[in-house]
Formats: sequence, C-alpha cells, structure tokens
Amino acid sequence: MLSSRIEDVRWVDSFDLPSIFDPRIRLYKEWHDFVFFDRTQNVFGLLNFAVHGNPYDAKRGYGAALAFLVKPDGGVHTALELIPLSDLTVSPYNPDFLSGRVSVSYLANGSFNIRGKIDDVTLDLNLPVEAPPVTMSQIAADILSRNRATMGMLDAANDMAQVWDKWVELPMLGVTGSLGIGSSNITIDTTTGYQDHEGGRFDWGSVSGWDTGVLLADPSHAGEPRKVSFLFYRYGPSGSSQYGGIILRTPYGHEKYFASTFTSVTDSGEFTGPRGYIPGVTRVLYPDYHPLISETITFSAFDGSDSIDIVFTPKAVCTIVVAGLSQAETTFNEMYCSAALNATVDGQKYHGTIPCWFESVRPRRRRPI
Amino acid sequence: MALRLRPFLHLLLDLIEEDYPEQLQNIITEAKGITCLQMLDKDTAIIRISDKTIRVTATARKSEVNLRIYLSRDCLFRILEGKQTLEGALNSGDLEVFGEPPVLLSFYKVWERVLSLARTSPRFYFLTYQLR
Repeated sequence: MLSSRIEDVRWVDSFDLPSIFDPRIRLYKEWHDFVFFDRTQNVFGLLNFAVHGNPYDAKRGYGAALAFLVKPDGGVHTALELIPLSDLTVSPYNPDFLSGRVSVSYLANGSFNIRGKIDDVTLDLNLPVEAPPVTMSQIAADILSRNRATMGMLDAANDMAQVWDKWVELPMLGVTGSLGIGSSNITIDTTTGYQDHEGGRFDWGSVSGWDTGVLLADPSHAGEPRKVSFLFYRYGPSGSSQYGGIILRTPYGHEKYFASTFTSVTDSGEFTGPRGYIPGVTRVLYPDYHPLISETITFSAFDGSDSIDIVFTPKAVCTIVVAGLSQAETTFNEMYCSAALNATVDGQKYHGTIPCWFESVRPRRRRPI
Repeated sequence: MALRLRPFLHLLLDLIEEDYPEQLQNIITEAKGITCLQMLDKDTAIIRISDKTIRVTATARKSEVNLRIYLSRDCLFRILEGKQTLEGALNSGDLEVFGEPPVLLSFYKVWERVLSLARTSPRFYFLTYQLR
C-alpha cells in the first residue's frame, strides 16, 4: 500500500530547513523522536533531537537533545541539553543531527547511530531501519482510498497540512547498544523501536494539540500484531474538534483503520506514579503544576466484524512545557504505558499487554508575562 | 573558566534590553526601589532598581540594601535543571533570602518574569550556563 522504500529514508527523514528569506523563519521547529522498549531489561526510552527557531541565527535559534528514560526499577530519568547552533549540523540532504556532545547519524547501511551524551545520559545505540518510512500524506491517501471521506477527516487533514511541513514515521526500528544513566550501564537489544520526525513553521499558540502513540508490539509473541498506532488530532478555532483513528497492522502486513467516528475514548482515576518535568525551571515557575493524567485511558472501536479495545495504564510520565514566541505554552505529556490490547481483525484475534508510548499534547494556560 | 556574577548580570541586562525592552520596563515598574545584595558562592553584586534603570554595582551602603539573596552555583543549577525545588532549596538552607515580605514578593515577580523570558531565549540559556 505504501510506495516508500527503506532507501528513501535518507531524504524523507531529512530536515526541512526553511529558506533564509522565509518570513516565518523564527517559528521554525523540527525534531526526531526515537522511542523503544527493551522487554528483557524493562527499559523505556524516548530520545528527542530538535532544532528550534531561526536555524541561521545563532542568537535566536538553538538545538536541543532530550532523553526521557524509564529505568528497570520504574523510576523516571530525564535529561535536557540545549546545543548552540555553532555546534550543530543539520541538513536537507540527510537525517543527521550532529553536535560535539551528541550525534544522530544515518549510516550507509540503512541504520541510525546515536552516540554521545545528553547531560548524564550516555548513548551508543545502533537503530537499523526495518520498514519503509510512512509520510503524513501517504497515511491520508491510504485512509481516503479505503474509507469514505468525511468533513472531520478533511478539516483535520487541512489543518495539519497548514501547520506541519513534515510528519514522517519510521514504523519499525531495531535498537541495539548501550545506554548509560549516571554510573549504571544498560545493554539494549530490541526490535520494537520507532521513530517519528515532525517539523513546521508555527507558533505553539496556533496548535490545539493531539494524542498519538504506538504500541511497541512484537509479532514474535503469540497474539501480538505487528504494530498498533493511533493519532487523534485537535483542530478548529477553539480546538474542540478532533479527528483521527487507530491503525492495526497484522503480522501479515494488512492494515486496519478504525476512524475516530467509530471510536470511543473514556478515562478514569488519576495517575499517581513517577513524573519528570522538563525544562527544570518549570518547577520553579509553576511549583504547583501537576497536569491531570488519568489512571487508565480506554479506546474502543469497531467497524463491521472488526473491533479493537485498548486500555492504557500510564506507568511513568514526563511533562514537557514548551514556550511559544507569544504568551502561549504547550504541554507535552509523554507517557510510558502498559497497553492491554484485545482486537479482532479479519477474524483473527490479537491480544496482549504491550508496552506503549503515548504522547498527549495540549495548550497550557498563558505564562506570566 | 566560569563567568563571574557581575559581568554575567551586565551581559544579562544588555540582552534583556536588546531582545525584550518592554519586559525590562515591566521589571523596573514592578521592582523599583529594591536594592538587592546578590551573592553567588563568593561573588557579590548589588542590583539597584530605580525609577528608570537597573544598575549593577559592586557596593552599596548597608542601609540601602533591602533584599539579600545567598546562593551557590551548585544550588542555582540544581534549581534550573529541576533537580531541586525552590522550596527544597529554601528549607535546606542552600538558598537564603532576607527582606520584608512586600520586597520579597516584588522580587519573586521579577524572577518569575526573567525565568519565563529565559525559556524562549537561547541567548539567555547559553549565557546562564557560562556561570558554571
């Protein structure tokens, strides 16, 4: 169904640097998100490598590297380093993000190499790309080809196209190597890696947020699909409209899309587990800030004889508050969840308790300026 | 070598004046009349906020100083990196602040405003890390 090839990663996943004459250049932002879970070591990782602001102005643009790790004992470890543009190389010709302290390199053998340090986190990881990249337009075209177009679908697609210059995912990555947290070192070896890459020229005040995530499934485990991902995108003048869906990919390569019109989302309780806050000054600026996270979030969807139920139980949360140029701020709640899956697609049943990355993004109240 | 406190404050004022002139005026309005003795490890600076300007000097008469803040570099970066809360730093004595409550509240507003600006300014971030 998708025309991309693994060989396309070099250009599809490269940085969409704006023209130096672009009037919205100050609003530029673009990043790689790498996500993985090692079931043997019980370690979750989210690594973000970003460029913010004018990429040609060292005074007003900067790079950032961020790590959100959940250790084998369940504890949260976060690290953030800003990188001066004078020490950062990104390009429209490849996905590389190269700095003196930490680097992401896309190698000729079709794998990513992440090496270096983010504060006290030491990385030496190799991530071979195991499946072709998927772009926002490919997902939209695929959904439109197999589902009746609705106003919600078209409005959300239109809103996303206005905001985002790039929205790409690499659905399957292997992850091997070592990960150091302080003085402890962990060997990582998993096939359940994932990457996405987003970028655009917009202020955070113009974005209403989204809920997205991936069940880091392993089809070699009985009953697990190849992958389950979801995206519910909020749009419209008040941000109250929402469109999206859940995509389940079977071990045989068939994809089933459950649109949000057939999906119910419910939640209950309040999460009380470990949290991290980034940047650290969030805790100084907002000492009582404690965004509400549900204890469980349930997605239920059906389409004819196919159905899916996922109960997400957050295990650890990292709250990232990003500031716009105006007074707007946006909260990213990055969650490592346990996802209890029960699905039936094409008469085949899928089930399991699967580690999951869940990202919930919402506007925060205006900051005190 | 780590930047000393007074040169840091001079550079910081230049930066705010250049990038956030309106915010500088708001800070002056909110905190005029405060003369703050700021210590960072063994570095000292006097921050004087008058009707129209903020000036950083080396000395002041004792009777002029109405706010005193004692802080170590380690504590400053533990707070900035979220490893220690402001409350924790105050309780442990790593951060000591002396002054009349209205003065403390005015200066807290300034600090909140400056930190808020810092989050949108990479220049501010990289300058701050020159203190370490």
